Amino acid sequence: MKEFLYAIVAAAVLLLVLRRRRSGRQPPGRMLVRRLASPLGGLHLAGDTGLVALREVRERLRGRMFKVITLILLGVVAAAIIIPTLHSSKRPVVKIGVAGVLTATQDRAVTAALAQNDLRGQFILQPDLASARTALRMGQVTMVIDHGRALMVETPVSSPSTTTASAAIAIAAALGSESAFRAAGLTATQASTVAHAEPLPILSQAPRQKGASRGTAVIGLIFIFILLTQYLTWTLVGVMEEKASRVVEVLLATVRPVQLLAGKVLGIGLVALLQAGLVVAFALILADAVGSDILHGTAPIVVVASLVWLVLAYAFYSWVFAAAGSMAERQDQAQSLSLPLSVPIIVGYVLALVNAGPGATSLLVKIFAYLPPTAPFAMPLLVAKGEVAWWGFCIAALVSVVSTAVVARFAGTVYQRAVLQTGRRLRVREVLSRQ
Amino acid sequence: MADVTRILELTGLTRRFGGVTALDDLSFTVASGRVTGFLGPNGAGKTTAMRAIFGLTELDHGHVRWNGGAVGPRQRRRFGYMPEERGLYPGMIVGEQLQYLGRLHGMAPGDAADAASRWLERLDLADRASSKVSSLSHGNQQRVQLAAALMHEPELLVLDEPMAGLDPTGIEAFGAVLSEQAHAGRCVLFSSHQLDLVEELCEAVVIIDHGRVVASGGVEELEVGGSPRLSVRVEGDRDGRWARDLPGIQVSEVKGGQVRLVLPPDADSDAVLDAARRAGRVLEFTFERRRLSEVFREAVR
Repeated sequence: MKEFLYAIVAAAVLLLVLRRRRSGRQPPGRMLVRRLASPLGGLHLAGDTGLVALREVRERLRGRMFKVITLILLGVVAAAIIIPTLHSSKRPVVKIGVAGVLTATQDRAVTAALAQNDLRGQFILQPDLASARTALRMGQVTMVIDHGRALMVETPVSSPSTTTASAAIAIAAALGSESAFRAAGLTATQASTVAHAEPLPILSQAPRQKGASRGTAVIGLIFIFILLTQYLTWTLVGVMEEKASRVVEVLLATVRPVQLLAGKVLGIGLVALLQAGLVVAFALILADAVGSDILHGTAPIVVVASLVWLVLAYAFYSWVFAAAGSMAERQDQAQSLSLPLSVPIIVGYVLALVNAGPGATSLLVKIFAYLPPTAPFAMPLLVAKGEVAWWGFCIAALVSVVSTAVVARFAGTVYQRAVLQTGRRLRVREVLSRQ
Repeated sequence: MADVTRILELTGLTRRFGGVTALDDLSFTVASGRVTGFLGPNGAGKTTAMRAIFGLTELDHGHVRWNGGAVGPRQRRRFGYMPEERGLYPGMIVGEQLQYLGRLHGMAPGDAADAASRWLERLDLADRASSKVSSLSHGNQQRVQLAAALMHEPELLVLDEPMAGLDPTGIEAFGAVLSEQAHAGRCVLFSSHQLDLVEELCEAVVIIDHGRVVASGGVEELEVGGSPRLSVRVEGDRDGRWARDLPGIQVSEVKGGQVRLVLPPDADSDAVLDAARRAGRVLEFTFERRRLSEVFREAVR
């Protein structure tokens, strides 16, 4: 699996380099204007909506903002994956003096016993027992294994109250078992198999607290919030700039308003999806490479749920922000319009983050998970905490899709009526009452 | 010159913005094969009428027809439009922008690239194909805008104040392109306040005021019509004071000692000549046609 992912990334990089080289080899001056290539490679979106969408994709991918935000996201994801791994690799080390020979089976048994206690062992070979005792007295080692027959410590051990005590009890038990298996006449393989027997799973009736999934959900929430606010701002400002520069007049002389609006929303949405896909792929490869548990267990389901709700959230809000952009001509007008529209996004995000801890999820979050403006944050959290059934997830998605259709229709009307009205900022009531 | 076969008809266009009537039952036609000037004082309704051709403003009444048929998205794809307030993406590369706009008019990708190269060369912008629009001067941005309107070889070309702010070289280049398009059989309608330019470039004009047509027809026909004009120059006279008290005669213009007079149809030109002689030695005394600027002033008075 890991090799396959690496191969995909390597192939993508190679393709990019080859394409750049090929485009660099175009003979200069053969034609003043080089034919526009599709930014999506072989994928060509049909019709005027497709042309508008592809222009958006091309211009956005070329922009500095896309590159900067992508790098920031990759950095944040890398930090979120690598830092906990570094932390987990800093397990306390127990220095163990070894007098005599320690067989491979004994070595594995001791290492496994320490790992179960979240410890690591460092074996230090001693020339003889006397040297080992001296090293123990001098504090150079924490304990000594005497020819695999006994374990020596400096002070007596009764209960596992300290790291040394825990380690000593675990090692003594492991070596005792290993010795017993050998005495029972088991081969080295049989002894190892018995020593490393997997315990039976313990099933509880109450839902399990999913630490890793919750961690993934928190990263997902931050991820949805950053991408959503970025792309909705692009949509709002993009529509406003087309209106302010009057380019919309040239475009609407040949394209219907709904095609222009849909193309813009689709184009920016594709860029968002591309960026999200890039970040998730990077996270998967990195997590696999460093052995992070952030994507273990139910975490992949949370990742998928977060992506689904990112798409649904963008689909729902993009129309609203585009309609708002069509009513503004200046940056300050756009900002004052976007502020009230951002309130449900901020409320949903903050509430979901507050409830992301191991405690019980509030009723408000459970209600918000079914409301399209807040569901993109509340629903992935419920998925991470295992507090929603698949059908609940589907109902929330369906409600969001239906609401998006209604909102798109409303936004289309506002856009059509407002985008050619220049000179002053319009109000929604004014636009809707226009004959 | 190509046969005159295509006609744009605007019939009874009415558009009110609250209490303001921008178009008031406006009707006129524009024929292909010649450049038609669209004139009128500020606020006369020129831009609203042009926007109506492209469906960019809702009409209260009236309709626009092209070759006898209704105008819809399919027809508009064959029209070219250059709005008064230049519409280009400032951050987009010139060549790519032209291709994009060409493709929105239904051009194939290769044809759009070819046309963009051709028009940039034709309008002396060959070296700016890879520049961003925002890095171009005002005049060059206007050239790009004209190229955008021409990319798809439109059957109808509508240009709102295309030459405002251009230098003489630019005006000459634009004029040549518009004449060339008209002679290739296209319908060309453009608005301007530069009446000398319109007089030189156009074969027909439509003059509107308060949303209504107040004069229209061939430039020559309009110039020949109306009251007779006299151009008189008297030695030593700079301000044409001698002509001011002539009964029934209106002083149209005094420029560099040349006095242009508008005579009533039954006026006695001999009486004018006598009055000029009394003022000094007469250097020039010729009957002239109306200038377009005079046609305009009389129409919108």
